[in-house]
Amino acid sequence: MSNAEQRLAPAIELIEVGKSYGKVHVLAGINLTIGAGEFIALLGPSGCGKSTLLKLIAGLEELSDGEIYVGGRLANYLKPSDRDVAMVFQNYALYPHMTVRENLGFPLKMSGIPRDTVRQKVESAASLLQLGAQLDRYPDELSGGQRQRVALGRAIVREPLAFLMDEPLSNLDALLRVEMRTELIRLHKRVGRTTIYVTHDQVEAMTMASRIVLMHKGVIQQVGTPAEVYATPANTFVATFVGSPPMNLFAGRIESQGAARLFRGPFDLALDRLAPPSLADGAATIGIRPEQVRLVGAGEVGAMPARVELIERVGPDSFVLTQVAAGANVIARIDAARPIREGDRVFVLLPPAQLRLFDAEGNRVPTEGS
Amino acid sequence: MADTALPMNIGAEDHARLRRRKRRRTELARHAALALITFVMVAPFYYVFLASLKNATEIFSYPPKLVPFPPYFGNYEKLLWDTGFLRWMFNSLFVAGSVTTLKIFLDSMAGYALAKIEMTGKRVIFMAMLILLMVPIGALIVPLWSLVSGLGLIDSYWALILPPLANPLGAILMRQFILGLPKDLESAARLDGLSELGIYWRIVLPLIKPGLVVLAVIIFTDQFMSFIWPLIATTSDDLQVLTVGVAALRAHGGANYGIWSASAVMSLIPVGVFFFVLQRQFLARSLAGALKQ
Repeated sequence: MSNAEQRLAPAIELIEVGKSYGKVHVLAGINLTIGAGEFIALLGPSGCGKSTLLKLIAGLEELSDGEIYVGGRLANYLKPSDRDVAMVFQNYALYPHMTVRENLGFPLKMSGIPRDTVRQKVESAASLLQLGAQLDRYPDELSGGQRQRVALGRAIVREPLAFLMDEPLSNLDALLRVEMRTELIRLHKRVGRTTIYVTHDQVEAMTMASRIVLMHKGVIQQVGTPAEVYATPANTFVATFVGSPPMNLFAGRIESQGAARLFRGPFDLALDRLAPPSLADGAATIGIRPEQVRLVGAGEVGAMPARVELIERVGPDSFVLTQVAAGANVIARIDAARPIREGDRVFVLLPPAQLRLFDAEGNRVPTEGS
Repeated sequence: MADTALPMNIGAEDHARLRRRKRRRTELARHAALALITFVMVAPFYYVFLASLKNATEIFSYPPKLVPFPPYFGNYEKLLWDTGFLRWMFNSLFVAGSVTTLKIFLDSMAGYALAKIEMTGKRVIFMAMLILLMVPIGALIVPLWSLVSGLGLIDSYWALILPPLANPLGAILMRQFILGLPKDLESAARLDGLSELGIYWRIVLPLIKPGLVVLAVIIFTDQFMSFIWPLIATTSDDLQVLTVGVAALRAHGGANYGIWSASAVMSLIPVGVFFFVLQRQFLARSLAGALKQ
């Protein structure tokens, strides 16, 4: 590939990437293109393969199938140090026997960069991350946040094509995590490098990433912006994983009555345009986000009587758990100022325009306007 | 613990005073017991040290002098100038020092390979090493002598240095230490461009220094006090090690408790100094496995 072609190539491209340990397939059929400067979050539950995928990109694990391109070059057979990527580890992985200055300068020293240049780059990174006063300390003399910044600094000095971050904030306390999240976003805007960020925390993914790659059992479930993934989840897994509380899901069946399509489950709903003609009758699931559920007056068309079972007050909002039928609970998000108590009889409306329909396999059925 | 033995009808100050007195009595009893145990353990060493500073008559005098004055240095003079003690000491220090230095590197490299490098048959090799540990040294003496003799190395320093290098204990110990290092450190080092040897030299070795100290103390002490193999592997006087030389002194020198005591005291010095210098590291790392990090 020529230099010009390399400049135009995506930062990282994965083609049919797979990883197996013996007979256990950890990753399968991973296809992903990451553009230059993007902030991508690999999101999923523990054990879904997101860290393994990151290590495959870094070259720390061997590919079983597929191809990985970094900066337009085939990276399958490249050593980790030749792939022009830098990694920030969950446990920081700082060398305990080296000072902060030595930790920051170590990758540059190993690359054979002249001492003066190493010193300049180290001081520049230290200044960017406010580590100037800690340069001569050892890692065990630093706080968790400082260690994290040193780990970031060690990646930044290399000026790589891409940063690979493996749950870098998970070892920090909640307050520090929020602070560091903001710092990371600012840093990304300032430095502008491609970043792949592994996390199991959807809040991190939703707030930091330009695109989210949701993974489950070694397979990509959906790739999209935070808004897309939230509003139009590709399947029931995404619907329940993203969003807190998760999307309300109701299992039932689609039945045709003449021209009308009905959802019959814990309650009955007219589906209208929600179920396309191509969708056959059979098992299905409908879903709706808690903030789209409305608690309305008795006369509203389509409203279902319900009983308030539980109220969770979370600051400006309240999450109200209502029982609309035996075994069918609907969670609604309402303004905390609204007067409502446990045991109250209410009416729940599920606006058809906000409903999402999933087929028998749990995949979302695309419909007009959804 | 409630002071149930204390009377109830007294003021708070008296109560506190009684509690302090009881604590002092408990402390005193504890210290007395420790002092007795210490005495029982130290007394034999002190007796030998005393005997080394007494002439033949004073050793058996009754009651025994607990502080010999004036001290008699004749035993040390005879030991150092009339016997091969200095040569034996040199041989023991040279062999123990060489074996310790070589094993530090060989065992740490072997431990690194066993802990971190994926290779076919690694598990089999490790199991074989564990099984070898269970073979008593007595069963190995004859085949080992045959091997070393076949190589023409009997009665040479190589005969004393090479066979201990094959002991798998050090490699197993190093493997355990290295397994305790976070895998991410190794990954970070690979990303930074280090080769396998670079990771071993620049990252692993500095981090397992405490483990190396433990290994060094064990090997040095074991080699310094080794007797059976040096007795069999060497025949000439120049190659005799301390343990063999002192045993020969007792066998052929007639009953001379003064010189024997002096040789015992002098023999302890190198090991004592070695352990004294490294004791803090040794004890800290010995207990490290028991503490949650």
